[in-house]
Amino acid sequence: MQTTRRDFLRTALGASTGLALSPAVPGFLSRRALAAAVPPEGRNSVLVVLQLSGGNDGLNTVVPYEDDAYHRNRPTLRLRAERVHKLDSGLGLHPEMPAFLRLYREGHLAIIQGVGYPNSKRDHEAAMSDWHTARPQETLTQTGWLGRAIDRACLAGQTDVPGVFVGPIPAPFGLQTEQAVVPAIKSLDEWLPAEEWPVAPMLEPAGSGAGVSPAGGPGSGAGVSPATRASRPRTVPFKTPVRGAETVEAFPAGASNPLPDFLRRTTLEAAAGKARLEAARRAAAATGAAEYPGFPLAQTLKSVAQLIRAELGIRVYFAELGGGGIGGFDTHADQAANHGALLRELSESVAAFLGDLRRDRWLDSVWLMTFSEFGRTLSENGRRGTGHGAAAPVFLAGGRLKGGLVGPHPSLSDLDADAPKFHTDFRRVYATVLDRWLGFDSQAVLGEKFAPLEGVIA
Amino acid sequence: MSAQATEAKQESTVLPENLGDPSWAWAPYRPDADRPWGLQLAGHLYRRAAFGANWKELQQALADGPQVTVGKLLRPSADVAGFNQAYGGYEEAGVDSAGGLPAWWLRRLLETPHPLLEQMTLFWHNHFAITNARVNNPALMCRYVQLLRRQALGRFPALLEAVVGEPAVLLCLGARANRKARPNLDFPRALLEQFTLGPGQFSEEDVQAAGRALTGWFVSQNELNYIGREHDSGAKKLLGQQGDFGRKDVARILLEQPATAQFLVRKLYRWFISETIPPPDSLIAPLAADFARDFEVARLMETMLRSNLFFSAYRQKIKSPVEFAVGLVRPLEGMVGTVRLASDLAALGQGLLQPPTIKGWAGGRGWINRFTLLGRAKLAEDLLAGSGPYEGRLDPAATALKYGHSTAETGSQFLCELFFQGDLPEASRQALLKSASVSGAGTADDLSGNAGPAVPIPNRESSPPKSSGTLASAATAPGLWFQSEVQRPGSLSDYLRHLAVLMAALPEWHLA
Repeated sequence: MQTTRRDFLRTALGASTGLALSPAVPGFLSRRALAAAVPPEGRNSVLVVLQLSGGNDGLNTVVPYEDDAYHRNRPTLRLRAERVHKLDSGLGLHPEMPAFLRLYREGHLAIIQGVGYPNSKRDHEAAMSDWHTARPQETLTQTGWLGRAIDRACLAGQTDVPGVFVGPIPAPFGLQTEQAVVPAIKSLDEWLPAEEWPVAPMLEPAGSGAGVSPAGGPGSGAGVSPATRASRPRTVPFKTPVRGAETVEAFPAGASNPLPDFLRRTTLEAAAGKARLEAARRAAAATGAAEYPGFPLAQTLKSVAQLIRAELGIRVYFAELGGGGIGGFDTHADQAANHGALLRELSESVAAFLGDLRRDRWLDSVWLMTFSEFGRTLSENGRRGTGHGAAAPVFLAGGRLKGGLVGPHPSLSDLDADAPKFHTDFRRVYATVLDRWLGFDSQAVLGEKFAPLEGVIA
Repeated sequence: MSAQATEAKQESTVLPENLGDPSWAWAPYRPDADRPWGLQLAGHLYRRAAFGANWKELQQALADGPQVTVGKLLRPSADVAGFNQAYGGYEEAGVDSAGGLPAWWLRRLLETPHPLLEQMTLFWHNHFAITNARVNNPALMCRYVQLLRRQALGRFPALLEAVVGEPAVLLCLGARANRKARPNLDFPRALLEQFTLGPGQFSEEDVQAAGRALTGWFVSQNELNYIGREHDSGAKKLLGQQGDFGRKDVARILLEQPATAQFLVRKLYRWFISETIPPPDSLIAPLAADFARDFEVARLMETMLRSNLFFSAYRQKIKSPVEFAVGLVRPLEGMVGTVRLASDLAALGQGLLQPPTIKGWAGGRGWINRFTLLGRAKLAEDLLAGSGPYEGRLDPAATALKYGHSTAETGSQFLCELFFQGDLPEASRQALLKSASVSGAGTADDLSGNAGPAVPIPNRESSPPKSSGTLASAATAPGLWFQSEVQRPGSLSDYLRHLAVLMAALPEWHLA
């Protein structure tokens, strides 16, 4: 079959046919390439994974303000009933999280309580590694859970790498792949090449390794059938110099070489993606509708929103709060102020992100999930801080989810070495977002079957 | 029919034609009228074996012919020992400095008089793919790379023995302690599956037997020690042989398996010759059999690089990030800061000393997605910018001037020959010139209306571009795409920088 230029473009761009020529679009792109700048019908679900580094104190995030044991064990850190933002069941959000109360009331926030895993570790590196690999029982796991999901998607023929890290620290191990190269974007400003690309010629389907159009002009590059090529004698490639447009015979061996076409196609996708991203950035700057606070996390999520709107095939975004390593949530001393500031950054940034996505109904396609390597001890440690614990809540924020509390608050009378016990394995949360939200095969990614949580998706 | 199905069909149709005749495939390439030696094949050889050629090397290769050139790449006349000794010292002293060993290694890649040795060292790093993310000891990683380099073109048994006894390798595989009571299995599994036999060539019992044979070896204080009482001296059955095997026996038995030589030849084939089609066994077998005689890597490489098959595999490989960047700098005979480069290359998927898993980098198409292409374009932009993170040290105009090209016209011709040996699709050539002249330092008066066929960059004659391009001749040339103002001092530099950035964004530039 002869690939026509139209077929080629369709393959390369998944193009819709409508053209929306904006004067702001770079002139080097052909009209057809611009077609890709129009979002296609039907959006894919997107997951944003937000790592809270250092071990977030779940008890002062979702506060059991009616529990005597809580008040008894936290003489200085305890948050009294009148200060918390009351949910129900005697639980309230930290005073610095009014934005999350709003999301909760609107049904855009689910709080999965008591999340952890058996024999959970209490040193940062080992525990974080367990959350990243999702294989706590193995010692030499070389890939992260999201990395495995990404590799699987790429092996299944997806040409866009479906995962990306956005933020100022190195990409966490959770995104570690075996095959795919996962981008790490510090900031969109630094990351995008300024250069406009001469992509128009790459729209021509390349006939062979030579990539020069045979006589007949543009578009007929695939005119030599495979059979014709195969019947040529084997030769070392050479080219006869030719003038002008009438060219070629060149690389008989190149007839079996799919790489030039692959690179043309991907270059075209890159150029189209770049144009779409630039358009999304211009639109964001022009409307000014989305108000983000100045927090670094808010700026990161603002970039994520632009990437989402550019529809680059990314299904999983990874971002971080706390600074990576042994992060800011590791509150061994003078916890109150530091923890409060982080929770304000978290809640206001996420709320701004959701508000931005709501403008054009993108919210229905996005979930954001937080996690931290462990919770903290019930007891204060004498330095107005807390020690490394076990179970903690996981937040799910987004559009099509059923807001509210998921599962009971862990008991404060039945503890695991001074910390709340888990009742929901974190891999069940992973299975929920993989199976139910992204439509990925969680068993293949996690190595075994974990039951997704019921009643989270709307 | 989907694009993929079309592709698969083409591949299967063509396979026997090019790869079906081992005696032709591995015979030395002799240029003749049908298969002349020219700039493009010289460029091909240098891209694969030496991270790209500079202009002098291309010209010398044209004069020498393919076989002499291969000989020089394998055995350069320069003082390689002296260079390596000096750099070995820098690296040992610099392992803890900013950028550390990866930055030093990149600098070595940019400056070495023996680039094929570095290409081979990189190959072995990918083969014995341990990562400092696990070893977490730059000094040990430095020692590991140096042992790879020492044996890179030597005999594989010596290399294997050294690697199996290298503390960094054991640490990476969790084999700090190999106790009789609890033999480590990750190390023997990697040894069988990744280092020698290849996947599917052994059983789980072989892994356990090899694990038991390796007991008694411990890493303490960064040295390998043998503790006899921890060695399991019971009988083991490994790949059909039986005995009280130790470490050396395991290596011997693994080398005796035909699968080992075949696995290595296949990997080298993919690294140096072609990533497009897995070669049939019939093609690999004769080379593997010859290699298995004494496992001399240099002889195997010599056969491969001299062969008809090698010279017919034009653009059948995708450049790794290292090849992409080093391949930009070496032809320009320039130098750039490698601390920044090391981290930029890591972002593109190739952090030196940090391969993703023990399988090494997936390579090939795995390097390329729309994000890495944007990242590569950004890196080329930064490398070639007149200022910024790389401080403008790379200047194509300086290289052009060195070879007598002082105008935009001949300078562009020169760059096109240097980077692509002139081999670009006509449409790309046109687009380059338009973009460069529209948005670059040079401005074009009448580009849009000019559909004239003549373009200053010639089609790929093997004669070098004329250095006599003058203002007068350029001004009278049809299809003028620049104005004389670009010949002001400084502007030529900006113009060629811009053109080179555009060239590095072309699909062809990613092909080795």
